[in-house]
This record gives sequence, C-alpha cells and structure tokens, in this order.
Amino acid sequence: MRVTQMMLANNTLRNVSKSYDKLGTYQQQLATGKKIHRPSEDPVVAVKGMHYRTSLTEIEQFQRNLSEAYTWMENSESALNHTTNVLQRARELVVQAKNGTLGQEDRQAIAREIEQLKKDLVQVANTKVAGKYIFNGTKIEQAPVTDGTPPTVRNNNDDFMVEVAKGVKLKINVTPNNVFNQGLFNTLQQIENELANPTSNLDNLLSQLDGHLNDVLAERAELGARVNRLELVEQRLAEQQLIAKRMISDNEDADIEKIITELKSQESVHRAALSVGARIIQPTLVDFLR
Amino acid sequence: MLSTFHGLETVRRGMTAQQQALYVTGHNIANANTPGYSRQRVNFEQTPPYPFASQNRPVMPGQMGTGVEGGTVQRMREEFLDVQYRGENMKYGYWNTRAEALYKMEEIMNEPSDEGLAKTLDRFWQALQDLAVNPSNSGARSVVRQRGIAVAETFHYLSSSLKSIREDLKNELDVTVKAVNSLARQLNDINKQIGEVEVHGYLLNDLYDERNRLLDELSQYVNIKVTPVPSGGSALKIAEGRFTVELVDRNGTSLGKLVDGNTGAFNEITVKYETTGDKYVREIKLGNDSLNFLSFKENGKIGALLHSYGYVGGTGLYPEMLNNLNAMAKAFADQFNAVHSRGWSVTEIKSNTKDGKTFFTYNPSDPAGTLDVEQTIKNSLDNIAASASGQIGDGSNAQALAEVKNGTMNIAGNTTTIQNFYESLIGQMAVNAQEAKRLSQNSEVLRQSVDERRMAVSSVSLDEEMMNMMKFQHAYNASARMITMIDQMLDKIINNMGIVGR
Repeated sequence: MRVTQMMLANNTLRNVSKSYDKLGTYQQQLATGKKIHRPSEDPVVAVKGMHYRTSLTEIEQFQRNLSEAYTWMENSESALNHTTNVLQRARELVVQAKNGTLGQEDRQAIAREIEQLKKDLVQVANTKVAGKYIFNGTKIEQAPVTDGTPPTVRNNNDDFMVEVAKGVKLKINVTPNNVFNQGLFNTLQQIENELANPTSNLDNLLSQLDGHLNDVLAERAELGARVNRLELVEQRLAEQQLIAKRMISDNEDADIEKIITELKSQESVHRAALSVGARIIQPTLVDFLR
Repeated sequence: MLSTFHGLETVRRGMTAQQQALYVTGHNIANANTPGYSRQRVNFEQTPPYPFASQNRPVMPGQMGTGVEGGTVQRMREEFLDVQYRGENMKYGYWNTRAEALYKMEEIMNEPSDEGLAKTLDRFWQALQDLAVNPSNSGARSVVRQRGIAVAETFHYLSSSLKSIREDLKNELDVTVKAVNSLARQLNDINKQIGEVEVHGYLLNDLYDERNRLLDELSQYVNIKVTPVPSGGSALKIAEGRFTVELVDRNGTSLGKLVDGNTGAFNEITVKYETTGDKYVREIKLGNDSLNFLSFKENGKIGALLHSYGYVGGTGLYPEMLNNLNAMAKAFADQFNAVHSRGWSVTEIKSNTKDGKTFFTYNPSDPAGTLDVEQTIKNSLDNIAASASGQIGDGSNAQALAEVKNGTMNIAGNTTTIQNFYESLIGQMAVNAQEAKRLSQNSEVLRQSVDERRMAVSSVSLDEEMMNMMKFQHAYNASARMITMIDQMLDKIINNMGIVGR
C-alpha cells in the first residue's frame, strides 16, 4: 500500500487525539472516583446506581424514624416504671391502712399521700415528649387526663404507627386505656375517700388496685417485647445500610489502582504516539536529495 | 529515408513531454496538502512511428520510433472506494448526530446524581416520612411543601430543557436541509461545466475533485447513489461525465433524483412542520414528491435529526422522553392528589368539614411543564393533609403519601411504580445513547479505513514525487544531451565534410 505524508499526518493526529480522549476519561474517573459519569457509559451501572441510591435513602429514613420510635418507647417505659412504683407504694399504704391500730389522724395522713400519688399519676399520664402527649393515641396535642376528684380520663386509643422498614409499621405508643383508664383513677379516689370516711371496703379496693397494677405490668411486658423487636429492626437496617453502601461502591466506584495503572500506561502510549509522529513526519526524500 | 533533423525532433518531443511531466509533478507537490485533491499523472504516449504503415510508405526495414508526447493528464482515483466511503460517511452522519442528541439528553436528565429527579423524589419521600412521624410539627410540613415544590421544579426544568434542545434540533434540521440544497445546486453547476467542456475532449481534473468533495460532504447528510451520464461528443474514454445523484434509503431503493445528470436539473428538499401542538415534522419533500419518513431511518444526518426531533405519525427521541415525563408527572400527581384528598388537613380538622383538597396542580396539556404545588398549600401549611383519622397527631395519611412513590400505578399504559418507570426511562435512554455512540465510533473507524485506502491511491506522496522529479529531470537532461550530440553530428556533416585538401 502506498503511504503518503497526508496519511501519516492524519493518522498521527487521530492517534494523538484518541490518546488524549482516553487520558481525559481516566482523569475524569480519578477526579470523581466514579467509574461512569453518564448513563450511556454503562446503562446497567447507571440504573442500578439509581436504585441503590434510593434504597440507601430509604434505609437512612427508616433509621431516622427508628430514633423517633425509640424516643417514644423509652419515655413510655420510664413512665410505666414510675407508674408501677407509684401503684406499689399505694398498695403498701392501703395494706398499712387496713391495720386496725391506726388512728383517724394516721389514716388522714395516708389519704393525703394517696392524693399526692394520684396527682402524680395524672402528671405521668400527661407525659409530654417534644411537645406531644405520648399517652393519648394519635391525639397528641391534648392532655388525656384532667385533674379533679376523681380525675377525668378522655383518652384516644388509636395506635401511633411508624414505618420502620419497607412496608413494616410498628406501633410505638402504649394503649393508654390499658394503663391510665378511668377505673384506675376512680379506684385511687375511692381509696382516698375510704380512708377519710371508712366503710370497711378497703379489701375490695385493694384487689382492684392489684388488678390495675397487673394491667400496667402486662403493658410494660408488651412494650418491652416491642422494644426488642425494634432493636432487631435496627440491627437489620444497619446491615442493610452497609450492604446498600457496598453495592453502590461496587457498582459505581472506580478502582483507583487499576485506573492509575491504566493512566500510566496510556501516558507512555501517548508519549510514544507524539514522538513517533514527530520523527516520522519530518524527513522526506526531499531532505536527502541535494 | 529518414530526414536530417528527425533525431532533433524526437528529442525535442522528449524534452517537451518530460517538461510537462515535471510541471504536473510540481502541481502534485503544490497540492500535497489540499483536501480532496487526487494526484495526477501524465499518460505518456509514443508518437506514431516512421514510416506509417500505408500503401505509399517508403521502403525501409521496420519502423523507427519518433519519440513521445505528453498525453492526457489523469487523476489517480478508485471510484469504488468513493462509494464505500460515502456509505460509511452516511452512517457516521446518522449515528454521530443521534449520539449527540442523546448526549445532550443525558446531560439534562443528569442521572445517577445527587441533583436529578430521582434524588428530588427521594427527598420528597423523606420529608413525607418525617411528617408521618411528626404530623403536628409545622417544620416537617414546611419541608414537605418545599420539597414538593422542588419536585415540581425539577419536572419543569427537565421539560423545558428538553423542549429547548428539541428546538435546537429543529434549527439544525433546517440548516442541514439548506446545506443539502446548496450542495445539490453546486453539483448541478459543476455537472453543467463538465458536460460543456468534456465534449471537446478535455479532462476537468480540478472539477472532478471538487465534485467528489461535494459528494463526500453531501453523503454525511443523506444516503446518495451516484450514476455517471457520459457527456457524448468527442469526450474521452476516461472522462467522468455528468453525475446523476439520487436520494436512496438505507436499502438502496431510490427516493428520487436530487441532481439529474441528463436534464441538468436539480430538486430541493423541503421540510414542513405542524403549526400546532408538538410541531412535529408534517412533511418532507424532494422536489414535488413527498418522502416517507421511515425511509430516513438510519439515513444520514437528516434522518437522525428527523428521528430525534419527531415527525407526525411516528415518534422521536425527544418527544418520546417528553411524553414519558408528562405521563409520569401526571400519574404521580393524580395518585398523590387522590391520596392527599382522602386525608384530613389541619384546616379541615379545625372546621370539621372535609373539602378534599389536592396537593399538586398541572395543566393536562403539559403536565411535566406545568406541575406545581397548590396555591392553598403555598398559602398555608395547615392545608397539607397528613392525618387519615381526623386527629392532628395522626400521620398515617402522610405515610400513605410517602407510599405513593413505591405504589404501583398506571403510567402510559404500563402498570409500574414511579420509581421503576423512571429507572426504565433512564435505562432506555442510556442504552440508546450507548448504541448510538458505539455505532458512531464504528462507522467512524470504517470511514477512516476506507478513507485511508482512498488516500493510498489518491493522495500525494512527496517521496514519490521526488523520485518522479529526478526521473523526469534526468530524462529531460538526457534529451538535451542528445541534441548536443546531434548538433555535433550535423556539425561534422555541414562544417567538416567536403573540405579535403583545403
């Protein structure tokens, strides 16, 4: 084949510019740390990338929801713990009051303490976390219990649900009626009244109080089980997050060592292309015929 | 009997012919870097020998050569390679233009990234989740509103950017059509000149080159087929004649004549657009004949522009993407609105009357371009319906709204989720762009290799010209030396003979 100067010049130019193009690609990959920077470079990577990113966003959002759930549950748990203690104290007092050796003044004192305990429970039932009443179902803007003699309960018993994983919703509140119902406050009120004007009804009230105590314990057990479940979900989300991040990385991230190696070898190709071009284009027969 | 000066005449011809060859060599060297130039060669021809073979010939043994003359000056060219080159150039024109159109589209869609529509939707979804957890928090509501506006604005941006690129494609199509028409006119003019001069026995090498150059240029815009029409008269055998240039589809079926070598007429391509709606190409004509849009499939730059911009009854890359975005925006907004209007907003809870307000508004004729957040929601955050039960603290409707993104719906006839639909849009675009880029590179390589072979035949090698220069110069010098020799010979006869005893 005849090879002419124009062909040599064109080829040199083409090779050098192709080589520049490759260098540019490596530069882009190194500068961004990403294998691709437009979908057409690898459609599969691009679409997968979109999918993984969304998954990661979702997981991170669920983790955010999770921390909200923890806030509710931990506060509920401590409130219920407190409630148990209060009711147990009330029970001790009632048992003490049943002792026939007590005089009227002693009973009055116990009645006053019971009154205080009752008021304390009203406060617990009206626990607010970040401006929300956590023992009033979804009616978080209203206090469920109004203090009075006896205190009146108007609670909402809807479940407060939070999505903690794709399609998995968890109830994060305690059903208030299982704990702070009208019966509880009525019992406490009756105990208080009974102590002021004894009608020897304390045995009956004591068993009522025991019933309420059991209810609270049952609700605590249930809450504990749910917290366990939440912890499981949290672990799973952490794993999923790790996997999603790794998938994104595997899918999109550039292999720096590989690219630097390729860059170096391309650089030498580029130098070769330039120097060959410089050598080959110069001399023609003209230069040797004098 | 040979004449006294026979030899002188022979070498004079030799000198003249070598001189001519040297001038052609000079012309070649001068044009070594001229694009489209084909090297030229003098076809030396022996002059008729003496004596002529005829009845009255002088009787002598054999014939005696009478030298050389510079015959035709011929271009060195392989026409078959031109045909190949134009075929590849046409494909390159198509795929390169298509790849560019898709390149721009990719840039606008900007996926996967932290700024694209997918991310905007993810953020909106996040804001709704936050609202679901904190339904009474006005901060969460305000984030939902802002991110809802961001979703709408992203749709706008995509829609309006795609539209403006599409407008650019239209301009490019118009300019390309003008270029084709101008080339047709120039080719026709050259045809005329060639036809007028060839009949007198001339070769118009420069015009042939120019015509080839124009045909090469034309071939990137449309697929062409060239048929020569002999000029007649005393035209030489190697004269190229006038060219008829036909527009053909990718299978080689003729669509009509762009330049007619027989009649000396040429036809222009005209493109007509619809005046309403998406302003598709309504008609494309060659002269008075309407052309089928489908015949422009994989057919030069015009084909690529036509199929990117879109035409009536068919589709185009840009209208398809716009339509899909519209379908997506519409389906998303409708579904979102349906869920939103089922819920209770704070305003509704307060007044205890349900008015079923929507969240997004759009104009059905252009959903992606006009998507917006309802004015009522822009006016008051209390109009976002996060509650399903009518309790302010209930976030289950916000939850349901967040699920719209992952819920199946009907988008442009497909039952899919908005996420999957969008991913498939991007995937489709990516595959299209990848294919176009690959085929553009392939056709470029093929075009280049054909061009290389063509240059191997036609382009000027300075070494070769140098060799020729030496060859011709030596032959010229030797002829001149021959004159000196004959001069001495004649000197002997004329001046030194018959002087015996003087």
